[in-house]
This record gives sequence, C-alpha cells and structure tokens, in this order.
Amino acid sequence: MFVIVVYDIAEKRVAKVLKKSRQYLYWVQNSVFEGEISEAKYKKYVTELKKIINLEEDSVIIYNLRTSKYSSREVIGLEKGGQSNIL
Amino acid sequence: MQKTLYIFSNGTLQREGNTLCYITEEGKRFLPVEDIQEIMVFGAVDFNKSLLEFLTQHEILLHYFNYHDYYMGTFYPREHYNSGFVILKQAEHYMEEAKRLTLAKKFVAGALRNIEQVLRYYERRGIALGDTLSEFTDNETQIESITDLSELMAYEGNHRETYYRCFDKILDHPDFPFDKRTRRPPQNNLNTLISFGNSILYTIVLSEIYKTHLDPRIGYLHATNFRRFSLNLDVAEIFKPIIIDRLIFTLIDRQMLTKKDFEAETGGIVLKEKGRKVFVEELDKRLSTTISHRAVGHPVSYRRLIRMELYKVEKHLMGEESYKPFVSQW
Repeated sequence: MFVIVVYDIAEKRVAKVLKKSRQYLYWVQNSVFEGEISEAKYKKYVTELKKIINLEEDSVIIYNLRTSKYSSREVIGLEKGGQSNIL
Repeated sequence: MQKTLYIFSNGTLQREGNTLCYITEEGKRFLPVEDIQEIMVFGAVDFNKSLLEFLTQHEILLHYFNYHDYYMGTFYPREHYNSGFVILKQAEHYMEEAKRLTLAKKFVAGALRNIEQVLRYYERRGIALGDTLSEFTDNETQIESITDLSELMAYEGNHRETYYRCFDKILDHPDFPFDKRTRRPPQNNLNTLISFGNSILYTIVLSEIYKTHLDPRIGYLHATNFRRFSLNLDVAEIFKPIIIDRLIFTLIDRQMLTKKDFEAETGGIVLKEKGRKVFVEELDKRLSTTISHRAVGHPVSYRRLIRMELYKVEKHLMGEESYKPFVSQW
C-alpha cells in the first residue's frame, strides 16, 4: 500500500520521528513522508512511532491509499525530496 | 515489493541515523533501508565497513560494475537461509552427470521456448522470418536425444546465433545492426545493449537466489568454477529473451535510445550515462510489471516470476516435483 505521513511533533522529539520515518519512507518535505510499504512494515513503523511520540502533545496523520492507481501527484515549485531510485 | 537502488553518480554511501544515506556535492539523500532489496553501483561510490555491516543486517546485496559497465562483483551478505540439505542436493545433481544434464537441458529448453515466443510474436506482426521459426519448434524432442553437455552447449549456441540474426529483421534500424555477437567489449550498439542488459539480469537473479536456500555457486548448464556464481547464469537464460531482448526492441522502436546514447571507447562501444539511466529505468518498470499467472491465480511481477522459478528448481533438487521451465504465453 501507499502511504503519506504528515506530522506535527514537539521540538524535543521531532528529530526522532524524522529518523524513524527515514528508515521506512521517502522524505518529501519537512514533516512529510511518502512511499510504498508492506502491511507488516507499516505495523512495525506505527508501533515504533507510538513509542517515540507523546500521545498528549504530538500528532501524526497517515493517509492510506490501498493503491495509488487513481491518484495523481502535482508539484508546484521545488521538488525537494522524492522517491527516485536512480541516483 | 522492495526496490532496487541504482547509483550512477559519484558520492559516498553510508549508514546514518539507522538508515542509508547517499551524499553527493548536491547534498544528502536518505533512502529507506526497509524498502531496499539491492543496490547496484555504477558510479564511483565510497563506502566503509560499517555500511557493509549494516547491509548484512538488512540482507541487502550490493552489486558493483566497473567504469565500462562490466560486472565486477557482489557483496553477498552472510547467508540467512541456511540449508545443508539443499546444498547437498545441489552438489549431488552437479556431480552425477545424468542429473546435471537433465537440469541443464531444461534450462536450454526453457530458453529456446521463450526465444520461440519472441519470434512468434514478431512473425504475427508481419515480420518475415523465413524458416527460422521452424528451427525452434520441436526443439524439446531434439534436446532429449543429446547425450553430453558439450553437445548441449553447442546446440544452444547455434540456436542463439540463429536467433540473434533475426534481430536485424525485427529491428530493421540502420543505427542498430546486429552483425555478429561480440563481447568484452561489444563492438556495436546493439551488442552493447545486449551485454548491458544481460549483466544486470544476472545480478537480479542473484539477488533473488539470495532469498532462497539455493547456493548460487553451483550451476548446471554453466560449469561451476573458481571464479564466480553460476546458478544465476542458468536461470537468467530463461528470462533473457522475454525480459531483456523485448526491452531492447521497445527502447529502440520508441527511440528512447538512439545512436547519440553510445560512444566509442578503447576497443568497443559503451552506453553513455543518460542511456544507461533510461535502460535501467525501463528495466525496473518492466520487472515490477505484473502479469496474470495461470497457476497462481493472481497477478505476479516479472521479478516474482524469477523467484518462483528458483523455488521450482529447489523442488526439483529435493525430488518433490520435476522442474518445468517457465514459458511465456504471449
């Protein structure tokens, strides 16, 4: 499945969430990640995130697309990060 | 499906923040370690032992190619699927001439059947191949009568020659004549593409072997020797015509690659960086393309097809089910 993750985390923990997200998904912009992820890895990722964040103060939203077939993606301005696997 | 990472630029690949990080002059780029199955290195990339350690932990293979795109080697992390039984069986099938020949014949038969399918496709589209096709039909019965390995190799070689000569008729492009098969280094554009494609396919099959119990060092059609992996070469034979050759036809036909993408180097022709990127990008797309598979009942990617082929080989070795090579249906 394809997911888009956006987060708003207190400064104290934001770096941890950033690092954790980099392990699973592609960085798009500050506080935004996206990428294809298997169901098992998704669960692992969410569990690990829960351990890092403070449920009272922080917020993470994960948009879940079963398939990205019918979606389109438009970038206006700079493409800061991305999913390219050819460097 | 985990992805393949292709690196053409020059930079440093390292472990950082428990994930992969590629540093170039343009800046840092983080790559999700959980989403990567293998890394193919074409550029001048620096890395250190801690990266290798990290790759081992995550079971990621690192293939490297030299400046002229020759396959140089693979960092093959410690085996995580250990099975003494399968290795013994593999060795047994290699040591016993008859058993080895049986498997080798199947790889040849599979390769020729798939070649036949490719030719058939173009014949249907109105390309006059003369009586070439009839040479390929019924090859299984002919292969049956072969009694030793060198004869089999010669049989396969001859057919491949005939097949490659059809490339001129299929492509019919002044910039891409086939002439004859040349290697190390290839002497014309088309040969360069074939060599480049095949060498990448070998590494992809190798990466898939890593995910099974099989030992890539023991091949059947290709003799096991002291220098390299050979099982991946055997299995790749089956997929070369349907993956690589078809890709080459598409790229040339759609003019995604033109003669401008090639340059003469000492003694041979090489693909320029832009051309390599186009090739690899399209190959990557093709490998993740899914087809519906009769026996499985749900869509399967070409990449998965390679893995399924390996499982069939494994079953054959264990004596569970006689190996039948994959034959493309279209």
